Amino acid sequence: MKHSVNRPPTPDGVVDQGKEPTLQEIINIKLIESGEKERLMELLRERLIECGWKDEMKALCRAYIKKKGRNNVTVDDLVHLITPKGRASIPDSIKAELLQRIRSFLVSTAL
Amino acid sequence: MSSKINGQVSPQPCPHLVDFRSRNGSKPFRALQDCIRVKPPGGRAAIRREPSEVPRCSTCEESSRPRLYACVACAAVSCHAPPLHSHASAHALSIPGHEIAVDVDRAEIFCCACRDQVYDRDFDAAVVLAQTITATATTSTSGSTAMQCNVTGSQPENLRKRRRVDYRPWAPDSREHVIIGNHSIPLHDATNASLISSTELPWGLRGLNNLGNTCFMNSVLQALLHTPPLRDYFLSDRHNRYYCQQKNGAINGTKNSRLCLACDMDAMFSAVFSGDRTPYSPAKFLYSWWQHAANLASYEQQDAHEFFISMLDGIHEKVEKDKRKSQSPGSGDCCIAHRIFSGILRSDVMCLACGFTSTTYDPCVDFSLDFEPNQGGSGKSSSAKSHNSCSVEVDCMGSNQNCGISTLKSCLERFTRAERLGSDQKFFCQKCQVRQESLKQMSIRKLPLVSCFHVKRFEHSSIRKMSRKVDRYLQFPFSLDMAPYLSSSILRSRFGNRIFPFDGDDQDASNELSSEFELFAVVTHTGRLDAGHYVTYLRLSNQWYKCDDAWITRVNESIVRAAQGYMMFYVQKMLYYKASEKQDAS
Repeated sequence: MKHSVNRPPTPDGVVDQGKEPTLQEIINIKLIESGEKERLMELLRERLIECGWKDEMKALCRAYIKKKGRNNVTVDDLVHLITPKGRASIPDSIKAELLQRIRSFLVSTAL
Repeated sequence: MSSKINGQVSPQPCPHLVDFRSRNGSKPFRALQDCIRVKPPGGRAAIRREPSEVPRCSTCEESSRPRLYACVACAAVSCHAPPLHSHASAHALSIPGHEIAVDVDRAEIFCCACRDQVYDRDFDAAVVLAQTITATATTSTSGSTAMQCNVTGSQPENLRKRRRVDYRPWAPDSREHVIIGNHSIPLHDATNASLISSTELPWGLRGLNNLGNTCFMNSVLQALLHTPPLRDYFLSDRHNRYYCQQKNGAINGTKNSRLCLACDMDAMFSAVFSGDRTPYSPAKFLYSWWQHAANLASYEQQDAHEFFISMLDGIHEKVEKDKRKSQSPGSGDCCIAHRIFSGILRSDVMCLACGFTSTTYDPCVDFSLDFEPNQGGSGKSSSAKSHNSCSVEVDCMGSNQNCGISTLKSCLERFTRAERLGSDQKFFCQKCQVRQESLKQMSIRKLPLVSCFHVKRFEHSSIRKMSRKVDRYLQFPFSLDMAPYLSSSILRSRFGNRIFPFDGDDQDASNELSSEFELFAVVTHTGRLDAGHYVTYLRLSNQWYKCDDAWITRVNESIVRAAQGYMMFYVQKMLYYKASEKQDAS
């Protein structure tokens, strides 16, 4: 029978018994399901814009693109460029705030 | 190189994207369109098959990767985390034709073979559309009218910069022309039978059925239906009855909250101006008005002027519940009824002993004329309470008349004449601190858009315990200049044309420009007090039409001049179109 769409084969329903979902995975799923992840993302975006972090990263990208030429840059290049610098330059206050939010979320949901 | 669209540089698609588009027809991203989910706060677009879907890489089962891409061809989700691994690229390489994917969290197209972001106008258009729909849905619930959709103002800043869609002007094609034709009613339909065979009746003329002694209501309604500012207000949908009912139904579900005379008026305007010439029955309006004026709810004949005042009050009251009270009475900011009919009267009382003058301003919605008994004038009774009619006396022996005919102008002159308040009506002078004889003079500070003159033809005498109707004829002009009765004119004449400042100078100046009025409706009463009939004469396109309940006929203006006017409606000349050109039915 001709398939209308080329699909990869459906993954087996059989899950490897030994592979339990990690704690990280469970937390992630709980965050997404409750909508908390969305809220945290929005909060983070807001804070990063406020403190000027976004503008800094933007300036970095611009400088890089100018140097390399507009048509010689890919998204991957830029991500590769600013990821380490970005991670390093996040203000501690924002880290603390988000950790606090996640912590209180974990406390509130029954795990 | 890139091409320019709308002054914006748009990158050329990569060969894989070109390939993909050519292979998948005109709407390659059709399936994706249904998966675009927009989160209202930021307007961020994401791709989800179900709103609560948690995307995870099909190869490594990870859902917490920062970049997950869904293949546009087969919907497989893969992660892309260079330089560690890129299951998205692996997917693209393994299956030809599956190079194009979309970032699930950012709704951006990515070519996994080129490993770079690519841009497609149709896809971007679809995303912008989805974001626009969400944006207008949220703004309309936040208080502004449902009719307004301020799209550009509500889009967040990052959207405006990134997503731009071309403006393409639209003109209907032949199929759409047919649809438009089938669903619209022509404005000037020659096939509608007109009451007068020779000429076509003007737009908006429709008889009103008498529901049982309701000619008092029909006559006033006919006048109001053709009051230019009121007609324009309702026909331009300034009070939408569906929206109003929806809004009130949400706030308070009780019956009283759904009572809105303005909504019933809106329905009536729609019906009367629909082009249908069969007489209309204003039953809903009558019922609503009965609920508002419970004491007048009966099938007995009522007074048309009383109905008029009650109706204005009803419209005003309903609005007052919704909005905050207007700051200044008489300004007309509170509701459409007062915006149109409300004027401001100025009353000056001057102490004859010391000359101290006290000035008060009172709003009024119409002018009531009193027939003076022939045997000499009594004191003027002017009670200008807020939003009430004010009394004006008719003088049948004025200097301007001949044969003792009363005219509208003469009573206005008398109204603004300085009157001595005699010894039995002493006024308390603030300067003298004692009651003194005074001189009182009325004038009009602010003219309303529409002046309604009401002739008091029904005398109710409590002394003699009887009522009678005054059939005296009152002459009224078709054009009226109210300039001599304005405060500025009155005061100027009092002080002999001297230059001096008085309050509201600019307002009076603007009034002088618009002090000319044109008559457009006359409500007449014939018969006795207990058995009479109201008829309205309307002036449209410089022709007069007699509206007798359900019967409308064209009449000569001499008939109108000779009629026994009870209520005369004048509108500011600049709002009145004397001879509107009648277009031929095309």
